[in-house]
Amino acid sequence: MMRAVGSTLSRVDVVDKVAGVAQYPGDIDLPGQLWMKVVFAGIPHAQINALNVDRARAAPGVVAVLTAADVPVNEYGLIIPDQPVLCGPGSTPTAAHVRWEADQIALVVAATKAQAEAAAQLIEVDYTPLPVITDPLAALAPDAPRIHANLPDNVLYSYRIRRGHMESAFAQADVIVESEYRTHAQEHAYLQPEAGLAFVRDDGRIEVIIAGQWMHEDRQQIAHALGLPEEQIVVRYPAIGGAFGGREDMSLQIVLALAAWKTGRPIKTIWSREESIVGHHKRHPFIFKAKWGATKAGKVVAAQMDVISDAGGYMYTSNKVLGNALVACLGPYDIPNVHVDARTVLTNNCPGGAFRGFGGPQGHFAAEMQMTKLAAALGMDPVELRLQNVLRDGALLPTQSVVPPGCTAAETLEEAARRGGWMQSADGRWQRAAHAPSIQSAAGPQASARQTSLDASRRRIATGVGIAVCYKNVGFSLGFPEHCYAKVELYGEAEIEKAVVSCLGADVGQGAHTAFLQIAADALNLPPERIELQVEHTDITGSSGSASASRLTFMAGHAIQGAAAGALQEWQHEERPARCEFVFHPRPTTMYDPETGVADPSVTYGYCAQYAEVAVDLDTGHVEVTRLVSVNDVGKAINPQLVEGQIEGAAAQAIGWTLLENFIQKDGRTLTPHLSNYLIPGVLDIADVIEPVILEIPDPQGPLGLRGMAEMPMIPTAPAIAAAIHNATGIWIDQLPIVPERMWTALQAQNGA
Amino acid sequence: MYPPKFDYYRANSIDEAFALMGQLGDAKLLAGGHSLIPALKLRLAAPSALIDIGRIGELKGISRNGSTATIGALTTHATVAAASDLPAALTEAAGWIGDPQVRNRGTVGGNIAHADPASDLPTVLTALGATMNMRGLNGARSVSADDFFIDLFMTALGEDEILTSVDVPVDGAGTAYAKLFNPASRYAIVGVAAKVSVSGGQCTSARVALGGLTPSAVRAPSVEAALVGKALTADNIAAAAAQVGGDLDDVMGDIHASEEYRRAMAPIYVQRAVSKAAERAG
Repeated sequence: MMRAVGSTLSRVDVVDKVAGVAQYPGDIDLPGQLWMKVVFAGIPHAQINALNVDRARAAPGVVAVLTAADVPVNEYGLIIPDQPVLCGPGSTPTAAHVRWEADQIALVVAATKAQAEAAAQLIEVDYTPLPVITDPLAALAPDAPRIHANLPDNVLYSYRIRRGHMESAFAQADVIVESEYRTHAQEHAYLQPEAGLAFVRDDGRIEVIIAGQWMHEDRQQIAHALGLPEEQIVVRYPAIGGAFGGREDMSLQIVLALAAWKTGRPIKTIWSREESIVGHHKRHPFIFKAKWGATKAGKVVAAQMDVISDAGGYMYTSNKVLGNALVACLGPYDIPNVHVDARTVLTNNCPGGAFRGFGGPQGHFAAEMQMTKLAAALGMDPVELRLQNVLRDGALLPTQSVVPPGCTAAETLEEAARRGGWMQSADGRWQRAAHAPSIQSAAGPQASARQTSLDASRRRIATGVGIAVCYKNVGFSLGFPEHCYAKVELYGEAEIEKAVVSCLGADVGQGAHTAFLQIAADALNLPPERIELQVEHTDITGSSGSASASRLTFMAGHAIQGAAAGALQEWQHEERPARCEFVFHPRPTTMYDPETGVADPSVTYGYCAQYAEVAVDLDTGHVEVTRLVSVNDVGKAINPQLVEGQIEGAAAQAIGWTLLENFIQKDGRTLTPHLSNYLIPGVLDIADVIEPVILEIPDPQGPLGLRGMAEMPMIPTAPAIAAAIHNATGIWIDQLPIVPERMWTALQAQNGA
Repeated sequence: MYPPKFDYYRANSIDEAFALMGQLGDAKLLAGGHSLIPALKLRLAAPSALIDIGRIGELKGISRNGSTATIGALTTHATVAAASDLPAALTEAAGWIGDPQVRNRGTVGGNIAHADPASDLPTVLTALGATMNMRGLNGARSVSADDFFIDLFMTALGEDEILTSVDVPVDGAGTAYAKLFNPASRYAIVGVAAKVSVSGGQCTSARVALGGLTPSAVRAPSVEAALVGKALTADNIAAAAAQVGGDLDDVMGDIHASEEYRRAMAPIYVQRAVSKAAERAG
């Protein structure tokens, strides 16, 4: 029988999605349903003195208007419950405090959408506006207003790393590179804006139908806010129209359940694109102050980083993202002397939260820019410098634990370098012929060897190449009790006629369910057609954890294999049906030591390197990626076509973040709530050529040797492009996004100098 | 976002449209709807009624009379883009508007009557020296493009008039359109149209217009003056383009591009448009 793993099996959901039959939450209607309008505060920082909903309650068609006073336990949050479900008086002391323009203040439930929206206009709010903090550096000022009363310095969380001796290390260094890097917010821009339904079932429990990333976490959050036992809640995920981390935190889960519980009626709502962009978190903006030193021989001896991220008004997953950035900002390198101070700071901006890469893209932008600059300062090839310092098996992480075995940062980088035209000379050193002179001569703009050309319309175009490498944890880190449930049931008599495989990992579009099927088919030695997946709701089995941290195929793969083995054993014992529920626990991890950062932070890592070619229009500042090679070590490609889809999708999202996507807030208000002014790349904006390259070097911990891979190709893109821009123009762009106007401004400064 | 409520009327002839306009208070004419409907959705307009003139056959199509092409107001951008005997600046500008859906529904008349400052056709028609033909209850009149575009969303078209067609000179001059555009909407951040004639190696006439920068499309008389009488070499074009700043008052800035960047891009795109027009002038 053909093995399912490694084949390009069609996605289990492809026909329904292509034919338009698949039901996303917004496509579902329930008999007797009411429409809910979620009312945002519309003001980024204020105290609510009074909220008058009398006129709204009396409006035509209105069934209920719910406010803070109606929420049984008015708090939620994935990490800490620091966010009110509804802001307003009549609840907890902190709930009357609005910290974000999209804080939810009321739910208007009416017979129709138009009636709910009309009634929402009749709500009268008496606000006392408070000073708005939009800059995390300003939030750190001693006299800055407090966003949360219990955090007097607005520092939500901090971590540090102390390894080695900085003073002597810098004294040893022949070159020192100091820079400040700034990365910006990013909107997830999934195709399907937030939508969902909730109703009270015949068995008296509340069922919430929504698109999320982790059913059991949604269930826990809903139960907590409603003051109900978790068993009282059922969460169901129908088709999910993209997530990218944007559905990890709650949006409509709790309020839908609340409205259904309070009215006893089925409730539905769909957010507009504007509500979606304003109403959910973004990728954290970061500021990095970096000082790195290296010897002439090419050893990076010291790295000092000061890291600040903008958390917005609430925690969301800010501490976890910061924890990732803490090591990501040092890159995949073995650096003996490291000091990092990292803080995530409260402001009245849109909250920062999970987004593909989870601190990795931000951290690696700083780290890889530093490496490219050090190579230039040393007159060394950037690949050669990286390979001399890269983490290899047996090396210590900055947290002073050994990198988990199967470290392939060097292998991915070498493959990207080869495809980018580098060659290894007889003495083992890596060199690239064509653009090497300008890579090596970056002491100043004058020294750069510009590659310019003129086309028919007299455009002055400079071209350049760049390279970067990254690593990213697989699975939840820092002592989190990672686990994943799966269940297998085998039916038949003499032979297995049907297997039912249950695993509740969310298929957010990445193809997880198809991968589950392929892994199960091989584990049970059955053709995929004989396997039925049960993946829809929380009653089916225990938590499979989140579709995030590039963890799902890794964790669920183990769980499904474990359940399959157990069920086959039962089958041998003549059990009919044969059943096994299995919980996979990866090796435990540990939290950072508060003083030194010493930890064994992550289960394992995935590796990716990218090579970029760019063309810069020297008159307008437009940057085009003409070729992007993305080399990913995925350990084992369960479904190569889906893996390539992840690589290409990440490239698009990363190029968009680097060159185009510009989420603008002013005074705490979103100025780009439409896809006409928040620009995501179309097919013509991505790259002329994307080359997805799959390496299959097994991870000793991975099921079938596979590695998590979905986030990694999002990470090295920005620094690879920025390196290529420097190669083309001699200009370092240390702030993202590199929109034409920013590039043009830098070109003007260069010409003026 | 949905448009506010409105009543819908369909006119099957120009006379029927006039009758409805007289009858209804704050009605708006609906052609292809690709400027008006977005404006309604954004609450920039809230007329109580729309009069759909989109099916009036006499307003559609392109005809030719000697050296003048007449484009009916309801001719779609797609039709203009595919036309073989219109000036290149016009066909290339029409082909770059929005996306295929927009070009298949959006109309020339609707576009210029709306007079969005970021729109392409006002700029092109100004450079080409086009004439707008309109009809009202008191008869017909014509206005040159130079006088037609008055200000932000404001034209010479009277409230009781319908734009019926546009006359475009087709005289063998070299024309071209170049634009820096918003990647999502393809609206011009800076759009430049140029029309040049060359004789004996020298530029004998030049018309250059810019859009996207100022509240309405404007000519660039300093650039035009600097081109006429010169050979259209790269250096001469660059020198003329550098004059454009003097022709621009009130340059707009927004989240897509600052005033400074728009100003800096003006000579670049003047250069690109004039260079291409010069090549086409032969």
